Amino acid sequence: MKKTQPPRALLAKLFGASAKGIGIESSVLTGYATAGGGEVCVIGTCNGTYIDNAAALRLAAHVIDCVEHHRKTPIVMLVDSAGQEPNRVAEMLGLASYFGHLLSCLELARRNGHTLITVATGKAIGGAFICYGMFADRIYALDSASVGLMPVEAMSAVTKIPVSVLKKLSRTMPSLEFGARPFALLGGVQEVWSAKDDLQAKLSQAIASASADDNRAALGKKRGGRKLALDVRNRVLAETAK
Amino acid sequence: MSQVELYHEQTARQRVAAIADAGSFAEILPPPERLTSPYLAQLGIPVSFDDGIVIGRATIDGKKVYIAAQVGPFIGGSVGEIHGAKLTGLFMAAARNRVPCVVLIESGGVRLHEGSAGEIAIAETMRAIFDCRARKVATIAVIGSDIGAYGGMGILSACCDFRVMTEHGRLGVSGPIVIEKWMGKQAYDSSNRALVWKTSGGKTKYLLNDAEALVHDNAGAVRAAIAKLLRKSGPVNLETAKARQQELEKRLKRFSGTADPDDVWKSLGVRDIERASLASAPEFVELVKAGKATVGKIRR
Repeated sequence: MKKTQPPRALLAKLFGASAKGIGIESSVLTGYATAGGGEVCVIGTCNGTYIDNAAALRLAAHVIDCVEHHRKTPIVMLVDSAGQEPNRVAEMLGLASYFGHLLSCLELARRNGHTLITVATGKAIGGAFICYGMFADRIYALDSASVGLMPVEAMSAVTKIPVSVLKKLSRTMPSLEFGARPFALLGGVQEVWSAKDDLQAKLSQAIASASADDNRAALGKKRGGRKLALDVRNRVLAETAK
Repeated sequence: MSQVELYHEQTARQRVAAIADAGSFAEILPPPERLTSPYLAQLGIPVSFDDGIVIGRATIDGKKVYIAAQVGPFIGGSVGEIHGAKLTGLFMAAARNRVPCVVLIESGGVRLHEGSAGEIAIAETMRAIFDCRARKVATIAVIGSDIGAYGGMGILSACCDFRVMTEHGRLGVSGPIVIEKWMGKQAYDSSNRALVWKTSGGKTKYLLNDAEALVHDNAGAVRAAIAKLLRKSGPVNLETAKARQQELEKRLKRFSGTADPDDVWKSLGVRDIERASLASAPEFVELVKAGKATVGKIRR
């Protein structure tokens, strides 16, 4: 098992003393801190918590507060969540809509000039990553983070393909591998950070250099982990240009 | 009476043909292009020449649209790298050319056999959907198949301007089998079709305001619903975001102690559960409208 840092220690590494402005309640992070000499809004999850309807709403409420009262303040999203908890009542009450609402609020922020930066700090798995973290302008991950759709063992259990086969294939297909580095090869992560890095400097640089264009397919092709997506997309765009 | 074709029984290409103006559909990257998944080939799993999704241009009531339709029988309509890239490309084209885009969803989400590649494709498509909305280009998800819209595709549908559902459609993140495994058969018996559909089916989603239209299980009704929505679209703004926040908070508070979908139905104005369960989609819509008026009066 990979070690995950206690949330407070990690927040201090990312935001220094200003991390005290970030509240943690039921493993959901919300608050304001400082990065790169300016104010940033922080939303996120920690302790690998499951994200549910209530958690999505609290994150969304904080994004709305930021858009309304902290004009153009960059938003930093921290991700350490194992996914959505499979729960019938959550589904009955429309979990997909709660996630869609959170994404809509982030879109509102982007259109209002807020830079969106994600740092995957722990687990960044499946739906938990899709419902906010993957929606950033630029996405970063700690090398210790567990990033991806699911571990090979879980993939094997569902697809009935032996773990050994998947592991062997993952050597040439990073998409099947689980982790920050293979995810970066697909273009899903801009850069992998090490805990030894000066994370405050890294974050400040990330905010300063961010751009809202989605560069993931191009990055995936360049890095060789996702060779087809960009070309297929471009063919559709060419066909529809006539 | 002429034979009624059920939407949920049609194939993806039949659905597209029936929804679009007669003869107007032109497929982009059709099967002769042989775009097949190298992942599946390596795993020794049969591939499909369209990678499980049909995309193209058409007209509906003479208005230009782009349509995508997922092919459920091919690995559950799951999103792999090529499948996802076709969908992303179509929504990007829609934004660029300002042509409304409709996606007929029939998918359990990301294709596990291709790992994270499909996951990223869904995230990219979401960005393209919101680019459409920012340009006031309508984005419409149709959910009317037994497979429904689950996982990343369920979340993606919630990013579109509108969701058109039939009572056969199901919308969610985690599917019933996964939940049963997690919570036990006591909490969720995935073979209990009535409970599954009341949890995630079109009627409940329409009642909760998560689907904007609930229509008959046939392509003509779906087409009519789409036609009404093609000219409406809007970027997210602060007022709508705040209103939705309030609505979702209220919903959570109101039903936090409820496990029974019948309680949700009753609380939202369905007085006769039995009758509403058996009602056709349009009848249900009428019952809800009548019930909502009553609920509103009592509260006031």
